[in-house]
Amino acid sequence: MLLVLTLFLTVTCAAAQASPAKEYEVKAAFIHNIAKFVEWPPRSAGSLKLCVIGQDPFGSALDALDAKPIGDTVWEVLPVRLNSNLRGCGVLFIPASENNNLKPILTSIQGSAVLTVGDAKGYAEQGVMVNFYLEQNKVRLEINKDAAGRAGLKISSQLLKLARIVAESGEIK
Amino acid sequence: MKKYFPAITRAVFFHAGIRATFIGTALVIMLPVCAAAESSDAQADLTGLSIEELLNVEVSTASKFPQKTMDAPASVTIITAADIKIYGYRTLADLLKSVRGMNVAYDRNYNYLGVRGSGRTGDFNSRTLLLVDGCRINDPVYDTAAIGTEFPVDLGLVERVEVVRGPGSSIYGSNAVLGVINVITKRGRDLDGLEASGELASFGTDKERLSYGKHYENGAELLLSVSKYRSTGQDLFFPEFNFPATNNGIARNLDGDRYQRFFGKLAYAGFSLTGSYSSRDKAVPTAAYATEFNDPNLWINDGLAFMALEYYGELGRSWDLSARVFQGRYSYEGIYPYTGAPITLNKDTAQGNWWGTEMKFIGKFEKHQLVAGMEYQDSFRQDQSNFNLAPYTPILDDKRSSKREGLYIQDEITLNRGLLLNAGLRYDHYSTAGATVNPRLGLIWSPVDTTALKFLYGTAFRAPNVYELYYASSGSQKANPVLNSEKISSYEFVVEHSPRQNFRLSADVYSNRISNNINQITDPADGLLVFINAGQVDAHGVEFEVERLWEGGLRLRTSYAWQISREKLTGAELVNSPRHLVKLNSSLPVWGDRLRTGLELQYTGGRKTLAGGIANGHLLANLTLLSEQLTKNLELSATLSNLFGTRYSDPGGQEHVQDLIAQDGRSYRLKLIYHF
Repeated sequence: MLLVLTLFLTVTCAAAQASPAKEYEVKAAFIHNIAKFVEWPPRSAGSLKLCVIGQDPFGSALDALDAKPIGDTVWEVLPVRLNSNLRGCGVLFIPASENNNLKPILTSIQGSAVLTVGDAKGYAEQGVMVNFYLEQNKVRLEINKDAAGRAGLKISSQLLKLARIVAESGEIK
Repeated sequence: MKKYFPAITRAVFFHAGIRATFIGTALVIMLPVCAAAESSDAQADLTGLSIEELLNVEVSTASKFPQKTMDAPASVTIITAADIKIYGYRTLADLLKSVRGMNVAYDRNYNYLGVRGSGRTGDFNSRTLLLVDGCRINDPVYDTAAIGTEFPVDLGLVERVEVVRGPGSSIYGSNAVLGVINVITKRGRDLDGLEASGELASFGTDKERLSYGKHYENGAELLLSVSKYRSTGQDLFFPEFNFPATNNGIARNLDGDRYQRFFGKLAYAGFSLTGSYSSRDKAVPTAAYATEFNDPNLWINDGLAFMALEYYGELGRSWDLSARVFQGRYSYEGIYPYTGAPITLNKDTAQGNWWGTEMKFIGKFEKHQLVAGMEYQDSFRQDQSNFNLAPYTPILDDKRSSKREGLYIQDEITLNRGLLLNAGLRYDHYSTAGATVNPRLGLIWSPVDTTALKFLYGTAFRAPNVYELYYASSGSQKANPVLNSEKISSYEFVVEHSPRQNFRLSADVYSNRISNNINQITDPADGLLVFINAGQVDAHGVEFEVERLWEGGLRLRTSYAWQISREKLTGAELVNSPRHLVKLNSSLPVWGDRLRTGLELQYTGGRKTLAGGIANGHLLANLTLLSEQLTKNLELSATLSNLFGTRYSDPGGQEHVQDLIAQDGRSYRLKLIYHF
């Protein structure tokens, strides 16, 4: 029995090392690109903060973004939590882990020019501006225009064309 | 099934489970083998690509840990649809065997769940609350939590199963003594079309399922499914009956099992209507309840039908409302052949009908998350009968009904940075057993983002059911209408540590006290069996679990549980209560997305039997090969259960002559799913 197990684990370890294109590297690249199509209201100088709340799914995928030039400034990647001051974020990434906290998160940045980027089914309907979903192993975007408008953010029509537009609703979670 | 007869004689076996314990320990030691294998290939800079280009990049889906959705601050395990596929689970019992701290005993009729060392054979899992999409399905006669082939929902329709250990009465009311199991079904869009599934398995088994799911443009969502299962079963040998008069111990063609199921769900604009029907027939080879051995007349039927209409919506900015009306019907029939010339056929039946309603308000504020709710159930029919067929002789004709009401509130308060207090209280009133109040307190402290410490306290109860209160059969069992609820109080300390994404370690220490236990005894005054509130059980244990996903697709979940449950008065350990449980579940891609394999190892330590013997510790392995995309629409899987052909037995119940009931050896299953 032990022999079988050892064999299994050995095969297993070998298989674990070969990894194809990674979902979160692609999503990190998306965030960088999306930001180029979003117009923030005039803001004080300094870096563009990319805040990641809760459980960071990116691993090392955001390292490529940190300090990278974006427009006339640079990215600054910051882990944050619910009781941090989220209003200072330029982009707030909300992973699937925050499903139960979504409401308090969105309430705490109400009226601030924070671009919310979500990563779970149903987030856009609940007021997240840009939300990722997967379709046949490709990353897709859905956009809640109203939510962006309320925060005073302008999303270029070029980006809107490439996304599924979602209306807010009180649909089942 | 559910009637009690004193057992006659029992053989006693003594064995030591030591050898198997060693193997179990060795497994745990070997686990870190892979932990060093980190994938660290250089990253391509994708940020240079345009959005259009990025939309065309094919990604390997990063597996994610499922997130908890239940309201209880507790130790929770979530098993997903992906796990069900890759480990080839056929029943809820199969699935629960992989869960930390749980074990299952099968008596070739029902499956008995042990949770943290408490799990008597014969209690029909009444100390565990079973929910389907949040709706209670423990029946109102025996409180059965059906986890075998009589469970009404096909596992192919299950999106996830949330297993919450510990008392849950502060939110869920009765039965949530040892834990709560919530089975969450798929949505129409998860199927998106027609799906046909066929299975062939050992012991003359076949199963067919046809399901349809759709998410319509107007937002409506539909799911419909029918399934049918048949198993001939094996000829089984029982050494206790190895006499010429009883066919030399061979129960021929008496292990058959079959069911039909229907499940449907329609959702639109916050409303959701669910309906389910199932009926299972099981032949019983064990000659349980002192019936004739090898008599083909012994069979039982369990049927469950339920319907629920639910609404979920927002009430203003801060409040959500969840409301439900539900209705259900449970029926049981069993034919029991007794010695005589000619043989006397005795029929035992039960029927439970109920309806009820519940309402829950969920308030989300900056520092508070409030949940307040109420529940009402009218079990308007709780009937039991027993009679001989020919000549017709009535023995029991008991007609009952009862009502229960519950009222609860829970608040989760953010006290400070990283400090959460969860406090809940529920009041329940039963027309049979009176009122009870159950609190729950949880303090959750996260000193750093990666670590959470949970201090949990709670109590829970189970009201006596009508079977325990009123079942009577002249000469063998009498009623006890003044039974009280049994209670559990529980303290638990949990440490969860997640050093990085998709890597989770947890440790639990708990201490449970079950008091006012509803136990069956023989009354010395008249020699009749009767349920009384007696005794107290103290259960303690520790559990460790490691869960890890690697980027290449390897998944690992492994746990060790040490637990001990003793009767306070006598110091005796409980029956069917293993001291050690080791679980390992691992799956990995063998050939890209085309072929995955899943391996399960389960070590169950020695368990005491009713006669004071031991069911030896044993190690089981199950292996599944799964191809989700053999061709575009075809999914194929093959499972080998009990890979090593381990011989093992589970403890029998009061109703068995057998103290140990032998379990299946190696068996296979082939499964094919076609998506149209």
